[in-house]
Amino acid sequence: MSSLAGVRPLAWQAVRRDRLMLALWTLALVGVCYASAAATESLYPTTAEQVRAAEAINDSPAIVALYGPILDVHSLGELAMTKLTVLYAVILSVLFVILVRRHTRVEEESGRTELVGGTAVGRDAPLVAAVVEAAVVALGIGLLAGLADLGGGLPVAGSLAFGASWAGIGLVAVGVTAVACQLSASARTCAAIAAGAVGVLYLLRAVGDTSAAWVSWLSPFGWSTQLRAWSGPRWWVLVLYVVLAAVLVGVAHLLRQRRDLGSGLLAARPGPADGSPRLGDAVALAVRVHAPSLAVWSCAVAGLAVVFGAIAPGIGDLLDSDPAREMIERLGGVGVLEETLLAAILSILAVVFTCFALTVVGHGGSDEQDGRTEQVLATATSRSRTFAATLVVALGGSLWLLVVAGVGLALGYGQDFGALLGAALAQAPAVWLVAALAALAWAWRSAGTIAGWVLLGLFLTLGQLGELLGLPDWVLGLSPYTHVPAMPVEPFAPAPFTVLTLLTALVLTLAWTRYRTRDIG
Amino acid sequence: MDNVIDVSGLVKTFGRFRALDGLTLQVSAGEVHGFLGPNGAGKSTTIRSLLGLLRVDAGTATVFGKDPWHDAVAIHRRLAYVPGDVALWPNLTGGETVDLLLRMRGEDPAASRRAELLERFALDPTKKGRAYSKGNRQKVALVAAFAADPELLILDEPTSGLDPLMEQVFNECVAEHTARGATVLLSSHILSEVERLADRVTIIREGRTVESGTLDELRHLRRNRIRAELDAPAALDGLPGVHDLVVEGDVVTCSVDAEGLPGLLSALTAAGVRNLTSTPPSLEELFLDAYRTEPVAS
Repeated sequence: MSSLAGVRPLAWQAVRRDRLMLALWTLALVGVCYASAAATESLYPTTAEQVRAAEAINDSPAIVALYGPILDVHSLGELAMTKLTVLYAVILSVLFVILVRRHTRVEEESGRTELVGGTAVGRDAPLVAAVVEAAVVALGIGLLAGLADLGGGLPVAGSLAFGASWAGIGLVAVGVTAVACQLSASARTCAAIAAGAVGVLYLLRAVGDTSAAWVSWLSPFGWSTQLRAWSGPRWWVLVLYVVLAAVLVGVAHLLRQRRDLGSGLLAARPGPADGSPRLGDAVALAVRVHAPSLAVWSCAVAGLAVVFGAIAPGIGDLLDSDPAREMIERLGGVGVLEETLLAAILSILAVVFTCFALTVVGHGGSDEQDGRTEQVLATATSRSRTFAATLVVALGGSLWLLVVAGVGLALGYGQDFGALLGAALAQAPAVWLVAALAALAWAWRSAGTIAGWVLLGLFLTLGQLGELLGLPDWVLGLSPYTHVPAMPVEPFAPAPFTVLTLLTALVLTLAWTRYRTRDIG
Repeated sequence: MDNVIDVSGLVKTFGRFRALDGLTLQVSAGEVHGFLGPNGAGKSTTIRSLLGLLRVDAGTATVFGKDPWHDAVAIHRRLAYVPGDVALWPNLTGGETVDLLLRMRGEDPAASRRAELLERFALDPTKKGRAYSKGNRQKVALVAAFAADPELLILDEPTSGLDPLMEQVFNECVAEHTARGATVLLSSHILSEVERLADRVTIIREGRTVESGTLDELRHLRRNRIRAELDAPAALDGLPGVHDLVVEGDVVTCSVDAEGLPGLLSALTAAGVRNLTSTPPSLEELFLDAYRTEPVAS
């Protein structure tokens, strides 16, 4: 028992540290549940329309790949929760990757676990405390999501089953991250492993849902659909989540016992004894530091984009009925169906690539807090170069990822090369503006970069909830992503492109004015 | 010769906290200057101001006659800095970091003494930054600083993580650099290290300079501890400059100011001295004296 001493204070401490982040995430996720539940009936007032909409979704392999199929086309709940059952469950699992990693490997890498371990805290306590905290959060968000659906007017059993599926996905993500955090001594590598595992599970389900159904059963995201929450729930599926999560946490515990504090199971390899001659200034340093993660991002994005580009042509072939066509148009906008889907994917990717840019800006802040920036600035490196280095990688890296996405989609789609590349690049100013705002927060003070994530969450929530809640246009317009035209469906719009770019420049100028005159550290 | 570092009346506040409160510091060319103070006295804040990382609220600071806030890059070309707590890039090896820091100072790693220093400090350059212990992280920064020939070395508690053997290597390196004419600002709270290396010392406390001078000058300000065995009792009571007098049979112990020494000696000689020891104050005692908040009752 003594190896578990201290779990309670550690778990409480974790909750205390996370309280703002947890409140914002919960509010956003549960808010989306409520709004989607409440709004769908007014969107499709008659049962016939609901059935048509559901059939339209099932007829499109690309949408099934993205969201999963609708098993019962007569269920209003299942239609209302289309996006939430699988795709938003992926977003939900990101929360648990952040939570568990933050209280295990990040603490270990920073040496705080050692400090805490020197007190009356057992060896297993930090991992157990992180798992307990995250599991309670998963159950809590699941319960609130179910209640939100219920409040939005959906049936009781379905709402609770849906909420349980979110809780289940949360628990599995906790287990996956707990294992990932035992593997490498680097918190960044652990995050990449956990995120990669979530991505693979999502793709497995996409493959299963569009080809062999049994493959979907290999992924917890497939279980969320197969639970059939809205018509005769298979309650036993919930056991699968719990068992998988328990096994993963058990494995993590065993792995933890087999390794020393601060080390990982993947042995650290020695690196080069000499620095490359090109590694000689702040920009080269920033590129070198972020190159491995950018390479992983590029491969993942290229793979995803080619797959989705290849699936896209399926829509047009399968959708010949007018109602279905009308439905798809209503789902995504106007114009050619395939292109609507490509535009939707690009707008999702724009948000995802903003995460990359925010990570880079966040590193600028932590480099400064840890004292690395101080060492760089003590050499013949100017402040402007140090500041620019982070921005070059943040803005340049996200632009590069957009290029990879555009080219990947075009290769998979097999046509419209220029149009798709252009559509991808048109997203850049929105991504840049959010990254620039994060840089402004960083310029304000080194610990400010978290503001970028808060803003991104806010813009995302606005984008998802704004229209459903009937918020005024100017509130919706606060999110830069709403101003990007849905290319290639809509034509390129020079005005928002120019305005967003100019705003980015303005925000960056402000950031620099502040950064050059403030204390470093 | 001009001072390499010239600081006067430096004030820096963080919110309500006054980290530097009129600090003065002069370091002349070619000397090893010990910069002493307890934790939180403002040593690192002073150094970070000298590097142009902090914007000071009042006072003047120059390095090589230039303002560190405005001419940071020009100044930094001529110096090397080792922070008190070295943070490395987790995915860069020690060797890459040494080369990076050298190149960013405009030096060519291949033409430097990098290889020799890696050997002397027994540092494995192929390990990733996250895998180094505190002492080894410090060695990475020390190798980068000592490998080239900067005019000024700013070392902030540079040996706090080193074992005694490596401290010896560090002392040799400092001696080599001063031999070629480099100036060294050495902040520390390890007194023996400063006593061994420093030509002059500045002691600070709560952001103010308490003492400054050569070790000899500082000793002049302090009392020697005298122990004498006498043939006959001497009349020492009330002699100017003599304190803490204790007479036990024929053994006399007391402490004496520099000014009181001649008077004491003649009184002792008059009584007939069989044995006499005089101990100069160690820096330890100077240091404790400088930090004693209350003045010593005499």
